[in-house]
Amino acid sequence: MSADVARGGDVPITLIGGYLGAGKTTLINKLLSHTALPQGTAVLVNDFGDINIDETLIRSESVDGTVIGLSNGCICCSISDDLSKALDELHRLEVERVIMETSGVAEPARVWQHCHYPGFAPMACVVLVDASNYEARAEDKYVGNLVRAQVAQAHLHIVSKTDLNPNFELHHLTPQLSSQDPDLIETVLGWRHTDEALVTDILLSRQPSFRAHTWHQEGTITRTSLETFLDELDESVQRVKGWVDTFEGIYQVNQVGSRTTMTELPENQPPPALLGLVIITYGNAGSASESTEHAGGFAPDQITMVLSS
Amino acid sequence: MLTLFKARSVITMNPSMPRATAVLVRDGTIVEVGEPEHMQPWLEGQQYAVDEQFANKVICPGFIDPHLHPSMAAVLLPMEFITAMRWKLPWGEVEPVTDAAAFDARMQQLHEHKPADEPLFIWGYHQLWHGDMGKARIQQISEQRPIIVWHRSFHELYMNDAAMNMAAIDPAQIKPNMQIDIERGHFFEVGLGFAINRLNPWILAPEKYAEGLKRLKQVVHHGGHTSIGDLATGMFNLDAEAKALTEQLEGDDVPFRTRLVVHGTRLTQGGRKPEEGPAMAQELLRHNSHRLSFGRHIKLFSDGAFFSQLAQMQEPGYIDGHHGEWLAAPEELERHIRAYWHESYQIHVHVTGDLGLELTLDILQKMQDEKPRFNHGFTFEHFGFSTPEQIRRIKALGAQVSANVYYLHELSDSYAQSGIGYERASQMARIGSCFAAGINTTVHSDFTMAPAEPLNSMWVAVNRINHAGDVMAATEKLSQQQALEAITINAAHAIGMADITGSLRAGKRADFTVLNDDPLTCDPMALRDIGIAATVFEGKVFPIP
Repeated sequence: MSADVARGGDVPITLIGGYLGAGKTTLINKLLSHTALPQGTAVLVNDFGDINIDETLIRSESVDGTVIGLSNGCICCSISDDLSKALDELHRLEVERVIMETSGVAEPARVWQHCHYPGFAPMACVVLVDASNYEARAEDKYVGNLVRAQVAQAHLHIVSKTDLNPNFELHHLTPQLSSQDPDLIETVLGWRHTDEALVTDILLSRQPSFRAHTWHQEGTITRTSLETFLDELDESVQRVKGWVDTFEGIYQVNQVGSRTTMTELPENQPPPALLGLVIITYGNAGSASESTEHAGGFAPDQITMVLSS
Repeated sequence: MLTLFKARSVITMNPSMPRATAVLVRDGTIVEVGEPEHMQPWLEGQQYAVDEQFANKVICPGFIDPHLHPSMAAVLLPMEFITAMRWKLPWGEVEPVTDAAAFDARMQQLHEHKPADEPLFIWGYHQLWHGDMGKARIQQISEQRPIIVWHRSFHELYMNDAAMNMAAIDPAQIKPNMQIDIERGHFFEVGLGFAINRLNPWILAPEKYAEGLKRLKQVVHHGGHTSIGDLATGMFNLDAEAKALTEQLEGDDVPFRTRLVVHGTRLTQGGRKPEEGPAMAQELLRHNSHRLSFGRHIKLFSDGAFFSQLAQMQEPGYIDGHHGEWLAAPEELERHIRAYWHESYQIHVHVTGDLGLELTLDILQKMQDEKPRFNHGFTFEHFGFSTPEQIRRIKALGAQVSANVYYLHELSDSYAQSGIGYERASQMARIGSCFAAGINTTVHSDFTMAPAEPLNSMWVAVNRINHAGDVMAATEKLSQQQALEAITINAAHAIGMADITGSLRAGKRADFTVLNDDPLTCDPMALRDIGIAATVFEGKVFPIP
């Protein structure tokens, strides 16, 4: 794929979702001033009101006040309730990628559909989850349905305010990061939703990116086959997380780099709602045909082959 | 100069003197309502005229629509209407078009009568009546003229190739998974925004907008209104709207006044805190003119659009399991309400579903606990779905109701089938209970969600007949007296104008709606067909041709 073709491709959009107060603005403030933010990135926010742009970063401002040019080659743009207008404007400005904050009451899946806009394509949906009150919110009479849908529709969860609730964990087979993780920004910027065929053909497919592969467990396996599987994972695998039912018991699996912990679920505890593993990889994943050429390389369908009993 | 208006009957809406035969007016203000023989003390030694043009008519207090949207209407009104329901418009009554063949015939007719170089914008298509729409169908009418067919909900549109060319829409840009079906010329959700951005020169150009407001002025007059509420001023752009409204809706030729209620969240958008809103809204009062006035009112929003089934519903929700949406996080709504409540504003909250209403009631309860207020005028706007228990809470918390009763007519049948089931669908706009509870209750059009015809709203409220001809929740019917109160004195209370209009008594502005028949004694089914002879705004007669 030539650079020209790539430039003519769709501009990828990363969604930042989550309920009011979950930390979307904090994350966006971090992104705006982060050195890893690539040039040509447009950050779309609902309202400049809460965004705290370092004044030394501001290079220009549009007449109507909806676009701010930054000295790092990026722009910040407010949606002001009209996404189509904002995207048309970004198309005119020839941005290369978009990070878009969704409204706190938006369902990410709906906004994902909106990102299929002429000249654009959705890349990943990142949802922030407030560890300090998620459990209460998920049962709330007014917003319970909404916050549960937000979490269910995410491709990556970022858990915030973990200091207030250190043991908080979402029992979803979706990759989960803490907002304190040192490589948080790089992960968000490189996150790719693997089911989305469109984005595999665009420029970013040739850049290193994070992807998640999910294995939903159907039958019980042996502990040995689980250990073997974890040992033999490709070096592109960054993290593995989940719950696996073995003949020896149900284990919580947590692997970061080469360090793996497996903790057995105590007998008196109820089993987790979802069994399976989330595997996060980082690298030039390329197309499916390329990955099968690498001997021992990781491909999502292999999980099923190795672990099904 | 005094003018004595005589009538077959005067309906005053003043409970102490419900009927009279004459109204004596001086400088736009009523000096006495009653019988001519009692008015002699005012007339002795004074110059006066006796106006008998309404001698065989019925004078009512000027009608009030407490909730419509001039700016939205201005966009829609220049379009041609082809609708399943009838719309009485000043330039002609739109007869119902209820099947596909009739829709096409009407499109053909409009096409033939339009100058060749003008695009044709049509509004009112609905698949329930008019069958599948698509580019091929529009192309059969014309391949040369740009034709745009807008859905009744306003949330989607269809166009032919000529229209796409006009708007410079390149089909090569459109991919299959977008909210655009290029083969069918169909644009929806964000795809609709894409289309609108490119059609803007034809629909939002300042001269189009001004033309639209001129039409709105006619619609409001022909509906018999003498006061209206613009219930979200600043929904697009406060400065631009204020300028256009001042140009079009102020001046001696304008037969009505407008209460402007500013869109609260838009007001503080762009970095202002909600707590700064009350002072900003107060500042707007400096721009008030004779006919256009802000008051200490604010508009806020709870749950999603009724027409799109995005109202937030309590259990058991929607039949298909989907959920409504919040227009703001509940905490944000509460923060805005708190800011204005503590500054003694009258707060109007858009609520459509019973969960949206429940949330807003919970917030109002908190406000009453924090800072009890009497006579605060907190108003539930639209009031689609509710429960009997919520009616009690509304009463107990001292709030009032402004209902879009027309929902019942157009939507109760389809919502019973494919929304929330018969029981709850039949009880939408539970306003009979509101009257029974002694809650100040009015009805509105939310124009263009419903026709801006108070007599039509009255007809729906009194008969509760839906478009399929079924009576829905007969016990919620209003009496003719109640329904007339709803569109006059109760509406005046809702927009904070009961001191000057809404009934006919000494001291109020001389605002009348003059009818050919008596709306309190006529056949209830004839209500919406009563002819409106004229309106009188502050003593000046504006005949309706």
